[in-house]
Amino acid sequence: MAGISSSIYNLLFRKNTVMLGTVFAAAFAVEMAWDTASASIWDNINKGRQWKDIKQKYLEAAEE
Amino acid sequence: MPALTTSTRTLARTWTAHQLPAARAACSALQTRSLSEASASSSFDSPFKASSSERTTKIPSFAKYRNNASGESGPKVFQYFMVGTMGALSALGAKATVNDFLVNMSASADVLAQAKVEIDLAAIPEGKNVIIKWRGKPVFIRHRTEAEIKEAEDTKWESLRDPQPDSDRVKRPDWLIMLGVCTHLGCVPIGEAGDYGGWFCPCHGSHYDISGRIRKGPAPLNLEVPVYDFPEEGKVVIG
Repeated sequence: MAGISSSIYNLLFRKNTVMLGTVFAAAFAVEMAWDTASASIWDNINKGRQWKDIKQKYLEAAEE
Repeated sequence: MPALTTSTRTLARTWTAHQLPAARAACSALQTRSLSEASASSSFDSPFKASSSERTTKIPSFAKYRNNASGESGPKVFQYFMVGTMGALSALGAKATVNDFLVNMSASADVLAQAKVEIDLAAIPEGKNVIIKWRGKPVFIRHRTEAEIKEAEDTKWESLRDPQPDSDRVKRPDWLIMLGVCTHLGCVPIGEAGDYGGWFCPCHGSHYDISGRIRKGPAPLNLEVPVYDFPEEGKVVIG
């Protein structure tokens, strides 16, 4: 346990620049994860009611 | 404090007669005596004073909060993790704020939809002009004939007022696309007119040739060429 935490500390937090990079990378990753998760929740709630779900129907109708 | 006043008086009386060490000894004697007298014979008892046997100061135990692990890296990692999480969340918030402002300032979808115009070139026969409206301005599209292309390319453009070769003004030599706004004062020139077989501005008599270059009249510059592209055969997108 101590070995893991000290290696994490040495890897990510010891140098200020590395920590800053870690923080920004984490912010980027969290933003992507958050956006993906919230979009999928939204799509799940509104399944079958969005344009991308019903587009197929109308495009086929227009072609016929 | 009678003791203090009497001893002070004694001290003042004996001050001139004694040397300095003697005065210091007297002073320290006065201090010790008066202190002992005060504790012994004071008539005032503080209500906050506890009895001397009881210990009033209770130091709570911080053993629960103490780091029991061998090293200090665990708490350090935890603290830096919390600091970093705070920083990451602040960065997210700042980015979202800036992003909102930038999105607010950028062009909206309806403006973007009007910014481009797609034209079917198959409907324009050779040797014909078409005027379309793009961003509120007329755009001339001319399907040039072989003779016109040859004329435009063979012109000695180095000696013109706004020297520009024909290859700089067209992407495909048979399609001449340019803004139909006279560079003099902004009138719309008339097509297939003028001394050079191109365009003629009726307002002040500027003559443009078949490549849209100014040849005669007050206009200072050639007709402007917009940004356009041929995404596929027979289609042009202006903008």
